[in-house]
Amino acid sequence: MIAVKNLYKNFGKTSVLKAVSTTVEKGEKVVIIGPSGSGKSTLLRCMNLLEEPTYGEIWVDDKLITPVDPYLHPEIISLSNTYRRMMAEGGDEETVIAEIKQKDLLRKFEGGAYAKAVKACRKENFLDINLVRRKIGMVFQHFNLFNNKTVLDNMTLAPVLLKLKSKAEAEEQAYALLKRIGLEDKAKVYPSTLSGGQKQRIAIVRALAMNPDYMLFDEPTSALDPEMVGEVLELMKELAETGMTMVIVTHEMGFAREVGTRVLFMADGQIAEEGTPAEVFGSPKSPRLQEFLSKVL
Amino acid sequence: MFEDIVTVLSSPTYMGYIWQGFGTTLAVTLVAALIGLVLGFIVAVVKIAAMNNKWMKIPAFICNVYTTVIRGTPVALQLFLMVFSILAFPGFKPYAAILTFGINSGAYVSENIRAGIMSVDNGQMEAGRSLGMPWGATMVKIVFPQAIKNVVPAIGNEMIALLKETSIIGWVGSTVGTLTFDLNAAAGQIALGLGGAYLAPSIIVGVFYLVVVYAMVLIVKLVEGRLRKSDRR
Repeated sequence: MIAVKNLYKNFGKTSVLKAVSTTVEKGEKVVIIGPSGSGKSTLLRCMNLLEEPTYGEIWVDDKLITPVDPYLHPEIISLSNTYRRMMAEGGDEETVIAEIKQKDLLRKFEGGAYAKAVKACRKENFLDINLVRRKIGMVFQHFNLFNNKTVLDNMTLAPVLLKLKSKAEAEEQAYALLKRIGLEDKAKVYPSTLSGGQKQRIAIVRALAMNPDYMLFDEPTSALDPEMVGEVLELMKELAETGMTMVIVTHEMGFAREVGTRVLFMADGQIAEEGTPAEVFGSPKSPRLQEFLSKVL
Repeated sequence: MFEDIVTVLSSPTYMGYIWQGFGTTLAVTLVAALIGLVLGFIVAVVKIAAMNNKWMKIPAFICNVYTTVIRGTPVALQLFLMVFSILAFPGFKPYAAILTFGINSGAYVSENIRAGIMSVDNGQMEAGRSLGMPWGATMVKIVFPQAIKNVVPAIGNEMIALLKETSIIGWVGSTVGTLTFDLNAAAGQIALGLGGAYLAPSIIVGVFYLVVVYAMVLIVKLVEGRLRKSDRR
């Protein structure tokens, strides 16, 4: 399960994500759609911390991968100097905590007990991102195959380097994966000799070589020539049928409708509407979504 | 002039000066280049690392001061400062001079290496990290090998510039036989013996420089070609 809690992301002064919360359960195929600049990719990239959120927390399999966000922990807020001062001035717990949250009143130093609680929370729940990323495969818009490595080395480098597999095991698995996509004859070539569709399919199986529990797709077909989109979507569809948990940012509405179990529509850094593909595409409620769909469908 | 050239070339004393100076120039350049490469590599990596690691911010600040000061002041000034003030220990003069050239070169090399690393698409690093590989391992296995072919020509240029910059080493003392007696100093010494005729010894020394530089250019080309070939398929 990937749980995104009250996520904010600012790039300088522009805020790209505003209070985004969602949970991706095991086996779900979540498709994120929305106009460009709406924060879809940023949200996806936050899920494996390629982008570090400004506020909020992300939990993967009940492990915290971001710093502790005290605003999400009332018991930590109640240890802060600010809380104590406001309580002394009069007020009841709930309204004080709500006010602190709403007005962003916590400062950097809020006393020893507060600092200790933050530290304890982190210690209890935090897991190193490098360990988490092993479970979360990622597919990029521009493939990002390692240019200085052969296809085989692209697929075996990480599993061997991280001592998850022996070299022989990793190669055997890589060949099996290449065979599955019909590219075993490309094992020894460099990525520069491949077509876009081949590159992206290899990028997908490179991620699969880590035996991930989740797969994140960041506009996997946007940089492809039209005639190559099909082969990549086909592979993703097969992957979905194996029960893989997938989060997909895409502009392929047909694919979203067919494969998605849940669709998130993002606009202006927020999840503006969500539901099953039938709901989102069949009976969109918000005018933003209606307008968006009228343009892309 | 031709007579002077013949005189120099046929005089064992004068040729002795030249070979001695040649040895000094090569040795000083080589050691300074090694210092510069190591220093430049470290500085470049620190600066790159600081872009997403807050613990490297202070080291990176120090590195920025280093490159700014070194690139912002003349090497002759740095040489005098090091030899006559900062490292003015008895008998340490040649080593202080070599160190100066190394430190000076390091600043330029670091910028070359940094630019080379930055020229590699960030997606390569992201792909490595997304597979769970640590930053350092991704750098070593993926980014550096791709950066190096962008870096080699610039480093070659810097080494050539360094070779020629060492010609001022004689300014801190050009006594025959010392470690600061380089090619350029040899030319001066010979001109003194010829009664102030600078032209002939300068031409001869110039040819020495030219031959070494040309050899360096060829080496850089060779390395470049090899890197490019292995980069293809």
